[in-house]
Amino acid sequence: MTPGQLALRSLIVGFIITFAVITGFAYTTLLERKLLARLQGRIGPNRAGYIPVPTRSGKPRRFLGGIMQPAADAVKLFFKEDITPAKVDRWVYTLAPMLAVIPAILILAVIPWAGEITILGQTFSPYFAIAPGVNVGIVFVLAITSIGVYGVVLAGWASNSKYAVLGGIRASAQMISYELALGLTVLVPIMLADSMDLGEIVAAQKGVIDWFVFRQPLAAIIFWIGALAELQRAPFDLLEAEQELSAGYTVEYAGMRFGMFFMAEYMKMIALSAITATLFFGGYRGPFVDQVPALGFLYIGLKTFIGLCIMIWIRATLPRFRYDQLMAFGWKRMLPISVLNFVVVGIFIVLQEEGILQPLFENTLRFLGIG
Amino acid sequence: MSEKILEAPDTVQNPVEQATTELKQRFPESLSDETRPGYEGLIVSPDKLREVATTLRDELGFNYLSSVTGVDLIDDNKMEVVYHIYSIEKGGGPIVLKAQVDRDNPVVPSLVPVWPGADFQEREAWDLLGIRFDGHPDLRRILTWDGFHGHPLRKDWKEPFYEEDHKPFGSRWPGGGVRRAEELNPYGKNVQYPPGWVPTGDEYEVETDLYTGLTIKKDETIDLKTEQVTVNIGPQHPSTHGVFRMVVTLDGETIVALKPVMGYLHRNHEKIGERNTFIQNIPYTDRLDYICSMSNNLGYVLAVEKLLGSEVPERAEWLRILNVELTRICNHLWALGFLLNDLGALQTPMLYFYIERELILDFFEALSGSRMMCNYMRFGGVAYDLPDDVRGQPTLQFLDELVNERLPRALEQGNELMTGNEIVQARSIGVGYLSPEDAIAYSTAGPVLRASGIPYDVRRAEPYSYYEHLDFDVAVRYNGDIYDRYLIRLDEMYQSLRIIRQVLPYLKETEGAPIISGKPQYALRVPKGGEAYARVENPKGELGFYVTAKPKGSNPERYHVRAPSFINLTALEKMTVGHKVADLVAILGSIDIVLGEVDR
Repeated sequence: MTPGQLALRSLIVGFIITFAVITGFAYTTLLERKLLARLQGRIGPNRAGYIPVPTRSGKPRRFLGGIMQPAADAVKLFFKEDITPAKVDRWVYTLAPMLAVIPAILILAVIPWAGEITILGQTFSPYFAIAPGVNVGIVFVLAITSIGVYGVVLAGWASNSKYAVLGGIRASAQMISYELALGLTVLVPIMLADSMDLGEIVAAQKGVIDWFVFRQPLAAIIFWIGALAELQRAPFDLLEAEQELSAGYTVEYAGMRFGMFFMAEYMKMIALSAITATLFFGGYRGPFVDQVPALGFLYIGLKTFIGLCIMIWIRATLPRFRYDQLMAFGWKRMLPISVLNFVVVGIFIVLQEEGILQPLFENTLRFLGIG
Repeated sequence: MSEKILEAPDTVQNPVEQATTELKQRFPESLSDETRPGYEGLIVSPDKLREVATTLRDELGFNYLSSVTGVDLIDDNKMEVVYHIYSIEKGGGPIVLKAQVDRDNPVVPSLVPVWPGADFQEREAWDLLGIRFDGHPDLRRILTWDGFHGHPLRKDWKEPFYEEDHKPFGSRWPGGGVRRAEELNPYGKNVQYPPGWVPTGDEYEVETDLYTGLTIKKDETIDLKTEQVTVNIGPQHPSTHGVFRMVVTLDGETIVALKPVMGYLHRNHEKIGERNTFIQNIPYTDRLDYICSMSNNLGYVLAVEKLLGSEVPERAEWLRILNVELTRICNHLWALGFLLNDLGALQTPMLYFYIERELILDFFEALSGSRMMCNYMRFGGVAYDLPDDVRGQPTLQFLDELVNERLPRALEQGNELMTGNEIVQARSIGVGYLSPEDAIAYSTAGPVLRASGIPYDVRRAEPYSYYEHLDFDVAVRYNGDIYDRYLIRLDEMYQSLRIIRQVLPYLKETEGAPIISGKPQYALRVPKGGEAYARVENPKGELGFYVTAKPKGSNPERYHVRAPSFINLTALEKMTVGHKVADLVAILGSIDIVLGEVDR
């Protein structure tokens, strides 16, 4: 296959995945609203659209009420007046939502959605992704997620509003402090799989028992917390902080520009859920995935869905940190623990590779009189 | 009904009389007795007011300034400022001080140096009655806006579309002819603008006084160019619990100074009250603290009953206590839900608490016909007896299940899920501290006062209704922070449940007994006139009603509300300075304000 053909194929796959995730974003908003409502003892949106299920009595039962809610929301956002306040920095104000959305889409490039698979005569090898085989995939993810903060900070700055500025300042501080812990934790799966390629990290987690979450639960927890902070989800949603800053950096935005921030947040939720699944929960791998590679789509979809549900559950449960507490937690707890974890994992890997670990273990057992 | 329980306890010695005699000995020239029939207290000459107040506070133990208000005595061409001062330690009734000044130039020394809690109340008296308080640090309008002209509670001030002095108004169509009040009194005739004000232009700078009061300092010690910013939190803001505004000066995220701005919902409740007949005011009190309409009713009804000297039948008293305590639970469920919401716990705890609150509201609906605006109490009783059934259950069985099963379970659940939560504790312990001394000095009341370690509850200090016969503890916590204000509300709900459990058997026992004394009348006449100040322990704090009546006329001459939310806000700045923006909303949530009552 020539590079030109490869590029064309990536483009087509990219389109398909991006649109799939944008649809996913729309339905994540519905999932969030529905699930939050159920967790709070409410019903949630149930008016816009339903799937009629025929019954014997003749009157169809309404199944999945509210299924068209995302479409209604989108129509509303598109038709709302797109206000640009008088004293904003017009260029930056327009640019900021784009800067937020584009990185959120770019992350999707390296996530493996299935193993080696043949679709319509095209063989995707070594795995199915927009850009398969990027050998620094995980570094790419970290790099791109950091760009997302510019969207938020610039939105806060350009809005020329005090609430927005406070939100933007909080965003930059929060992202910088949690990125460190996140980056250091990502090193653990890299070391375990001996590769930065996401596909190889998945390949290293062959069976359920090999999932890195079982070998490194601490790293998985820290990564998850860091991901929540990176996503500005509760309990780290300080930069939106409805109760304090009304809506933080988005106060001055209206219509679809506001919708783009929303979109960025939810697409990043999906992407980071998928990445967590990839790094710690075996990605697209699951039972019979070697025989039927198409199951990979299902497995990673399911794992991402569970990740999203947990995020929503956390949002419904926990109060919000205060700004200084958030900083203290990031620098004084998360960072030392992840450094320590990283060092310990490194030492053990070296011991194992040098063939010292096994004798050391046996000798210890003998010394304790067990072995 | 056992006779023993209703026996009044012996009054050993009245601390009020003791202190009054003591005061008279010390200030023989500047104090004189109130001579008008039906009035009580001491008339103080204004120049000695501050000394008398200091003596009362420091030496006689009357250290709690409950209410400051003014009365326009237009017939004598005088303005009177009325102070109600209580003793935290001794409990019991108030010492009432009155300062009378010339109506055309009313100047009274400010009591803010003695009691900082007088701050907002004096500003209110200046705003509405035009009494100037000499030495007040920041005497600006508080409830009306900066450009307001005149002082609306003065008897000679007339609103636009003024019709008559008192209700019920005469016919609007005398002789069958149609006329509108607007024709009689065209708009603009009564609207007065301050000099230099152009209604259509923005040349007139409003709020300059407000902003000049906030000094912005620059830190010169470091090279980095830093600046403090002034941020308006509110009036449109999700966490100000209504249309309330806080002008905050921030250094980074730390609060350096704060000024509350209120009055966006101001409707001059007191002027409306003075136009109304006595009985027309009962539904108006519902709208003060619209979450606790039952307790508001009780406060007002008690004040007027004092004037009328009417008796309340036993069953009515039990019904009153039942409803007031249910209201307390209702309010605290609401307050805790919102406090946790302000801490960022989304709406989950709030909605969990609301499930049970709905049941109480259903009971209110079955009882009074309205869920929130109950309009239930009447002078000398209550309006309706218990309904036959609530939500398809016999009423007493419903109440029994509510009080013994549903509510304790909900409280237990909330307690279990939220009290031990690490983030809740990290956010609230040690934040918004108010020392016991400050709590008294700032005239805070209710849960805010008691969370600072002052066990002062009107139900115990100056019992009304049948509270002296009921067995309950005054909830008190000692740390004075948000967390204690959270816990004390849980404690109070448990105490309220205890009270209701004691009340229910009496309700069963007195079934069929009368619920109102005398026959209901529309226009009440107070035979000899006089004044009355009644206070009740509202869920939000001490709610007081100061009502005066003339011998003639069926409407109050002066009707003043001592609103606990309003006065508790005086301490807001004290609690917030030095904390972060995020704490500000939590502290405000822990004070638990309702803007209907703050703005009146």
